[in-house]
Formats: sequence, structure tokens, C-alpha cells
Amino acid sequence: MSLHPHIKPRFNGTQCVMLDVIIALVPVLFVACLAYGWLLLLQVGIALLSAVFTEWIFGRLLLRNWKSIFDGSAVVTALLLVCTLAPLTPWYVVAFGSFSAILFGKIIWGGLGKNRFNPALLGREFMSVFFASAMTSPDIWKANEWIVFKSSSFFSELVTDYGNNYLSGLLYKTSGAMGECSIAAILLGGLYLLFRNRISWHVPFALLTIFTVLLWVNGSDNLPFSIAGVLFGTLFMATDMPSSPTTAYGKYYYGTMIGVCVFLFIKGGVRFEYMSYAILLLNGFSENISQVFTPTVWGETLDWKKKTEAVLLLTLKILTVAAAVFSLHWHELTAYVVYIYIVYITLKFSFSFSKSLDNYV
Amino acid sequence: MLFIPSLKHKTKREPIQKLPDPKDFHLSLKAYRGTMQPLVHVGEKVLQYQTIAMNTGFAASQLHAPVSGIIKAIITEGNHSSIHLENDFEYQQIPLKSIQPNNLSLADFTDLLQEYGIEGAGGSRFPTQLKYKIQGSSIETLIFNGVECEPYLSADAILMKEQSAALLKTAKLIQDLTKAKQIVFVLEKQNKDVAQWLKTLSAKLHISIEIKLVADKYPQGGELQVIKAVTGLALKKGTIPAKHGILVNNVGTLWAIYKAVFDGIPYTERIVTVSGNKTMTQGNYLVKIGTPVSHILHETQNQFEPQKQSVILGGAMMGKLVSSPQEAVHKGSGGLLLLKKQNSKTFNCIKCGDCASVCPQHLMPLEFVRHQQSKAELTHFHLQDCIACGACAYVCPSEVPLMESIFNGLKSLSP
Repeated sequence: MSLHPHIKPRFNGTQCVMLDVIIALVPVLFVACLAYGWLLLLQVGIALLSAVFTEWIFGRLLLRNWKSIFDGSAVVTALLLVCTLAPLTPWYVVAFGSFSAILFGKIIWGGLGKNRFNPALLGREFMSVFFASAMTSPDIWKANEWIVFKSSSFFSELVTDYGNNYLSGLLYKTSGAMGECSIAAILLGGLYLLFRNRISWHVPFALLTIFTVLLWVNGSDNLPFSIAGVLFGTLFMATDMPSSPTTAYGKYYYGTMIGVCVFLFIKGGVRFEYMSYAILLLNGFSENISQVFTPTVWGETLDWKKKTEAVLLLTLKILTVAAAVFSLHWHELTAYVVYIYIVYITLKFSFSFSKSLDNYV
Repeated sequence: MLFIPSLKHKTKREPIQKLPDPKDFHLSLKAYRGTMQPLVHVGEKVLQYQTIAMNTGFAASQLHAPVSGIIKAIITEGNHSSIHLENDFEYQQIPLKSIQPNNLSLADFTDLLQEYGIEGAGGSRFPTQLKYKIQGSSIETLIFNGVECEPYLSADAILMKEQSAALLKTAKLIQDLTKAKQIVFVLEKQNKDVAQWLKTLSAKLHISIEIKLVADKYPQGGELQVIKAVTGLALKKGTIPAKHGILVNNVGTLWAIYKAVFDGIPYTERIVTVSGNKTMTQGNYLVKIGTPVSHILHETQNQFEPQKQSVILGGAMMGKLVSSPQEAVHKGSGGLLLLKKQNSKTFNCIKCGDCASVCPQHLMPLEFVRHQQSKAELTHFHLQDCIACGACAYVCPSEVPLMESIFNGLKSLSP
């Protein structure tokens, strides 16, 4: 390197970023392992193998670069995917999910960093579409007999039964997806990422604030959602760098809109996929958001009128698409979105992305 | 803006030592704009402080012999030329003019700055006289920039400590000349002690100054950033500060002005910090312009080994990589650093946005890489407002070639 700067911060490479995300997932995976033992390890193993193998083969075929298996992003995607799954998801479905996450979520966009959608969530959608019966079967959630560590009262001697249940539930519970066993573990991972500056606080802050406010405004009726699921999505999925906006104000807006969409989806009766829908939807607008929320250049004045109009239009667009997603979901047509996506992205790769592989952005 | 850890504290308290003069001087003919024309020929004997090269026009600059001796060669390599002057160690000077500082007019002063080769010592090498051609603008605030935000460097800090009386005296003179309302010295918080000292001394000398302390962040010392910190005005890049009643000079430049006005000595020496994570010894040295880096390293018990470590002339963030031992200190070099070589691996941009969040000019540097081919897009993303500070490239986890795109882009945008 002959151009300035001639120094770099320590522990700052892309591989370090990925390693930090893996470290942040350790508590979550550890608790999941306490709960599901071999079931979890098996799924992690399959997802990892499938992800790295896909990365190696298709990296070589499509990107002429198989060394991307060492950047760590395939590992992160596989782990994140497993965290969103039910404990008894069949192994071949997991392998397929991991495969599509890497191929259709990342490689076909041109590799690391160029993807617009969160690969893990995309992989999950692919699983739901192509293995609909397996993924919607209630059997994949019936893991009671497998659960290794059943106790869930940690505070019995301290407080009342209600308090005990509540506090224990924060630490450990065995319902929901495998990454959602412990709110405490999720928060710990999230705090680590924040502390290491691997995720920006703007997205979680905006998302959780608006979501809480909307719940409060909504009043007393109990909406069916999992706090752990929302938190996991907020801290690990919505903050995914490549698929979120690049500017500070963009990140606020992005977090806010995810919060709004999650609330709308939950309110509208989307039972399980409210978080993935909301994040994937806003992923699609990330670039657009970055362009609308460009920082005001030093010495320039902000044109409030123009900016406000742009933001309003963007919000309108996002809400329209949210409504579209909602109605597709209602009519069980989301599969077609995935089919269209596959055709579109394949064409896009052949005619456009494959020609700009050498550009770093 | 960002915080960069470095060894600054190690050299901050090292007193200025005079570096023994080398036998051979290599004086670069590169000027702020274009190349200076040599006024001497090979074999000619020159006296100390004699003008040996100059260029004219808008950004006129002059170069003076730092010692007396013989012109050995005028070397041109590629588009870079330099004069090789052999020191005869006799120090025969030209007769120095005695200047009456109190009788100077602003016009005399600007002429004098040009004649004595005063240039921006902070690294820009912008001819200082241009700043004082204020064409009737009334100056409110005189800012003396002691914010040495480059990691490792402490030349300005030590200068403000050891030469404070000289700096204050010159500041006062400039205030009288420009009729500025106030003098502000800007320093980093980490140099609070120096600030305190300046304050005490100024009271003693009956010179009224303001001190502004700013955060220890990079690139807080950029002219536009300093102006904002002092006056609250965010001036667009390319604005002439004098039009807003502001004049900014680096404290190194101020010292050069002192020497010119009070001692009659042209800009031929400056303070250079020798430091880095690969040096055996560190310190602040008084070095003559044109002293080759190999000589400085030798005299400070360091080695010139460009294949083993990065040798940097200037700061770690904006300095230039040195490959030839003859490359020499110029009027803008505040440091000579030996740094560990970077073996970086480039990945695709992961859109973390760190480059945008550290950019002092509030730009989105990743867009300059994405749109390197399109002038229209580069302009749309305000590449023209980039000050090339390198903060974005410093934080980038993927080692995306940001500076390469920025320099290529700036080149393609310049007419």
C-alpha cells in the first residue's frame, strides 16, 4: 500500500467483524445447546457444512474465487439461520435452507457485501416455500422429549411464583425457535456487538422504541408475538451490515420502519413470520433509504422541504409494499414472490452482477 | 471523526534537539502548484539563505539554500526535480536584511512572506502570502492552528511550548497588521498544559489571546474543522476564510514568519518529529529543509530499511511513503515515521457505513468506489468536497481501495 493512511486500527478486518458476530452468538447457541443438546449441534453441523460447501462450489463457479469461505460470512449466515429454526426441522431442509441462503442470498448478488437481503432470512423463506409441509407441520416444534435441561425456575426462593416465572422466562425457556431460548443470552450477544461497534445502536434503538410505543398505544389486548424473536431479529438480523443502510439517519429510519412493519404484521395476524417479512421488506429499501438520508455535506444547508417530501414518498412506498406483502401472505401467495425473485436474480446475475465482480462495492 | 491511538505521548515532552547538518542536501523543486525554476547552475557556490529557486504567478514560492556550499547537480526523475547541494560547513551567509516589524504595512508583509518562502507548515504548503491578500475583507478572528491531529506527531505541541514567546509576539504583530479583533490559539485537549502555559505567558506579555481546546480526534486539525470549532461556521471546501473575517495559520507557519520578520531568516528549517512503532528512539528535532531522511534516521540511531518497514514523511494518516534515501524534509513535513508494514487483505465492501460516519466532511466515501467511472455520480456525491484526510480508509474493515478511488476521482473531476 503506497497511499495514505499508513496505519490501521487493530482487530478491524472483515474477518474480525465476522468473528465478533460468531462470538456474540455463542451465548445464544450455548443456551440452545442446553435445551436441545444434540438436536442443535446436528443442525449447526449440517447448516455449516452446507453453507461452506455451497460457498466453495459456487464461489468457484460464479465468482472465480473460492477463498471467500475463509471470510467467515458463510459461518455467520449458517449460525443465524439455525437460530431461526424449529428444533425438529428435518436435516435436508436445513441443508437446503443453508444452501439457498448462501447461493441465492449472497453469491448470486456478486458475493460478500453485495447482497441486498439478509441471507439467513432469505434462506428461511426458501425453506418455507419449497418445503411448505415440513416447515408448517406442528411436529417440528414438538421437541419436549429431547429437551436436555428442563428446569426453568431459577428464582423460586427469591420471589413470588409470578415473579419467578417471569424472571426465569427471561433467562431460559424451551418454546420458540432455537435461538430464542434465552432473552438474556440474546441481549448479552447484542451488547457485545454494540460494545465492539459491530452493529450501530441506531437500528435497535429506533426499532425497539417505535415498537414499544406502538404496543403501548395499541393498549391492553395481548398481541401474539415472541419477545425473544423480536429481540433476536432486532439485534442480529436487522443490524446485518450489507442489507441495512449506510448512513446514521438512514439507520434510524430503517429501524423505525421495521418496527412499524413488525407491529402492523403482528396486528394483522401474521403468526410467525412478522419479523422476517418486516426485515426483508426494509432490506429491499435499504439502498433507497441511504440515498434519501444522505448526510448534509459540510458547509451546505439542508433543503428541508425537499427532504421531507422525499421521506414522505419513501414511507408511502414502504407502507404500500407492506400492504402488498400482507395481502400476499393472507392469500398464501408469498411463494410466487420467491419464484419471481429467483428468476429476476438469476437474470440480473447473468447480465449485470457477473460483469462487475471486480468492483469492491 | 475518530480517535487514533499512537505514541504521541512519548515525544510530546521531548525537548527540541538540533539535528547535525548533513553533507548533502536534496531540495525538492516541487511547489504548491507546479515546479520551481532553479536560479543556480551546477558547480555554483551558494551562500546560506540565498534564493536558489522560485516560481512566479498566482501561487508564487521561493526556495532558499539552508547552508552555504556547492550545487552538485540538478536532478530530474520523472516529473520530480531537486537540487543537490553539498554543504561546505562554512555557513557563509548572505547579508541579512534588518526588518523593522513595527513599520511594516500589510502589503510589505505579504511581499516579505513571499520573499522569505513562507508556506503552510501544516502539510498543505499553501503559499502563506496568499492568505494575507485579503483585498479589503475585514478580519475578525485570527486563528493559530496548533491542532496536530496526526497521530505520532508532536512537532507543533513542542514548538508552542518552547517558542511560545516568539509565537505570541508574531501573533500580535499579525493582529496589528490585519486589525483583527481577536487572536485564538486552538489546541487539543491532550495539550492542556501547553495551553495553560500560553495563557500565562500571554498575560505576562500583555498580549490578549483566546485559547480554544478541541477534542483529540482526527482530523480535527483540518482548516475547515478548526474554523467550525472556533467560530461555529461550517465553511464549504474552497471558500476563502478571509471573506468570512477569518484567517487561519498553522503554528509552524507562524514560527517561520517569526524567523523571517524578526531574524530576517527565510524558511529553511522546521521542527520534525521522529517517531513510529518501529523506531529505536523518538524525539523532536530542528531540521533544515532539504535534509535527506536517511541522514535523519542515521543521526537518531534508526535504520532506513524501506523493505522492512514503512518510512513515512509527514504524518501516519496523510504522509507520503518514502522509497529513496535521498528524499528530503520539505516545508510541510512535520514528521518522519517508521511504521510497521501493513499486510492488508481486501474484501468487498460490507456496507458497514463506518466510512460515512467518520467522514469530517459528511460524505459517503463508499459511493466514490461504487461510482468511480461516472463523473456525474462523483459530483452528485460531492467528491469535490473531500479533503483526502484518509479517515475513511483508516476505519474500513474491508480495506476497500478508498483513497485510490478518491484520488482518481479527484483527478478526473479537476479541469
